[in-house]
Amino acid sequence: MSPRPYVEVTDLRKVFDVSKPWLNRVIERSPKQFLKAVDGVSFDIKKGETFALVGESGSGKSTVAKMVVGLLGVSGGEVTIDGISMTDPAQRAQRARLRRKMQMIFQDPYASLNPRWRVDRIIAEPIRAFNVIEGEANIVARVGELLTLVGLHPDDGRKFPHEFSGGQRQRVAIARALASNADFIVCDEPTSALDVSVQAQILNLMRDLQEKFGLTYLFISHNLAVVRHMATRIGVMYLGRLVEVSDAKEMFSHPRHPYTRMLLDAVPDLAMSGRARIPVAGEIPNPINPPSGCTFHPRCPLANERCRAENPLPIKGVACHAVVEGRTLLIPVPA
Amino acid sequence: MGQHIMSDAVISVRNLQVEFVTRRATLRAIDGVSFDIAKGEVLGVVGESGAGKSVTGAAIIGLIEPPGRISGGEILLNGRRIDNLPPDEMRKIRGRKVAMIFQDPLTSLNPLFRVGEQLIETIRTHLPMNERQARDRAIELLTEVGIPAPEKRIDGYPHEFSGGMRQRVVIALALCAEPDFIVADEPTTALDVSVQAQIISLIKKLGRERGMAVMLVTHDMGVIAETADRVAVMYAGRVAEIGPVRDVVQRPMHPYAKGLMGAIPTLEAATDRLVQIPGSMPRLSSIPRGCAFNPRCGEAFARCFVDQPVPLPVQGRHVACHLYETMEAVR
Repeated sequence: MSPRPYVEVTDLRKVFDVSKPWLNRVIERSPKQFLKAVDGVSFDIKKGETFALVGESGSGKSTVAKMVVGLLGVSGGEVTIDGISMTDPAQRAQRARLRRKMQMIFQDPYASLNPRWRVDRIIAEPIRAFNVIEGEANIVARVGELLTLVGLHPDDGRKFPHEFSGGQRQRVAIARALASNADFIVCDEPTSALDVSVQAQILNLMRDLQEKFGLTYLFISHNLAVVRHMATRIGVMYLGRLVEVSDAKEMFSHPRHPYTRMLLDAVPDLAMSGRARIPVAGEIPNPINPPSGCTFHPRCPLANERCRAENPLPIKGVACHAVVEGRTLLIPVPA
Repeated sequence: MGQHIMSDAVISVRNLQVEFVTRRATLRAIDGVSFDIAKGEVLGVVGESGAGKSVTGAAIIGLIEPPGRISGGEILLNGRRIDNLPPDEMRKIRGRKVAMIFQDPLTSLNPLFRVGEQLIETIRTHLPMNERQARDRAIELLTEVGIPAPEKRIDGYPHEFSGGMRQRVVIALALCAEPDFIVADEPTTALDVSVQAQIISLIKKLGRERGMAVMLVTHDMGVIAETADRVAVMYAGRVAEIGPVRDVVQRPMHPYAKGLMGAIPTLEAATDRLVQIPGSMPRLSSIPRGCAFNPRCGEAFARCFVDQPVPLPVQGRHVACHLYETMEAVR
């Protein structure tokens, strides 16, 4: 382990302007409206580990992922990868060298591969873009090697994406991510468009590749069971804020934040062990007009006056007044 | 097969076949599917995309569109055949006796009409009620599915409801005429986990309280484990295994069902590797001879490549696999 974490995210913010058009604002005398999609998120990822971000739709996890790789500009805060800032304009030149070191795998393998390109051209694109390998014959050999690595046949390179199933397409996307010898891969819901048996194939493949090449993953998912299978550390997001960060094992055996507990309880129980569950109440509120104080308080069984007024800051990985004050034992046990 | 029909079965599907005629070939999407669902029972139907789960549901409800057609078998509702009814007759039954909850609550509601108008229209189509009575009943239904302040929300448009609330409205819509049978086709797939749990328990509760038969179609084994009484595992248009949910989920017998259960990451098991089934589901145009699962099956033997197995009773359930035929013969 290097002394400095591989990826450092500090107080990351993203604000979207969701105002009505100018003319409407003038006529209706309505002010500009802003949506805080990501509001002060900080975490770090060590080399070779898998950091997972979980949360419901609208919690801002994909926005964080896009800002980390630089697909989306930041409104505030800093992202540092391998000691190079992704946000500091002065470090542009260093950033160009960093780019090949990171890749992204997207959710929908039907949309992320160009349907008019053959698979070998898709996989070779990063190799050519970054001049990783010289010479056409060498590139062809490398593409064949990558296809074999992800469990496809080198001859599959001559096919078009539509000739593959969803799982095979995701394998192509993984091969493309590895093509530039990347060592940091951001995976945004890589298996949620896939069937379970295929999902198992892809998750196993991703773990094998991590072991083989010492890859570092930022893994985004809404599925806690998948996250448990993949992650070394987990961050739970709610309405643009990181409410809890802890080791994967710790998170599942001793969830601390009430929202984390609620999420865990909501996972359907395959073992039918009849474990006690806190009934889940309510839904994620509108992020344009979030609740005051702790944004989770309308759904939280532990909320009190302080939670309604004051936004909790993360202390030892948990942003919750109740946990800090030791009020957690009061969660009502369902009959 | 007639002797299998249970006296309390609301829906009986007997040897159902559904075909889609295309220019190149006739594709058989459903090939000999049989099951019963009793009053108050939830049958879970699982399988991967293309297994034929949704087509089975659509066939029962009479919503197979050309070029698809029911090419064999029969569907009985309370002992009466409904698969061969003329469209006008079927329309009277649909919504009244059999109803459907779709996956996407946004597309199953009309965005131009208030939620109340849609409920009242459905109620008045099927029940002899005036506007006033229908409105009261609509409010009652919205209360029952757990919508807060229903007297107010009834005049809202679908876009004013969140995803989970919208799905509750869709469920209320399906309940309008107190049907005997409901097909819920992936009712929680479009929802977040915390909301999913709410909708699952709602469907379960309503099924019990009203004595409805429910066919719950989903690819999510967790949802089935939570909700269903019995489960049917489908593969390539056929039922691979059907039986009580506890048996099938915890001790699956069919190699496909075993693989499927092992492939699901769970919160409980701390395994490093998931069981993976090699390959993927065959296309309808190239379903292998014999058992459709044979190219992916680790236990396939000579007979699997020739004979198509039929579901036979084994240990309190039905399994369509040659491995267990001899086992039962020994018994």
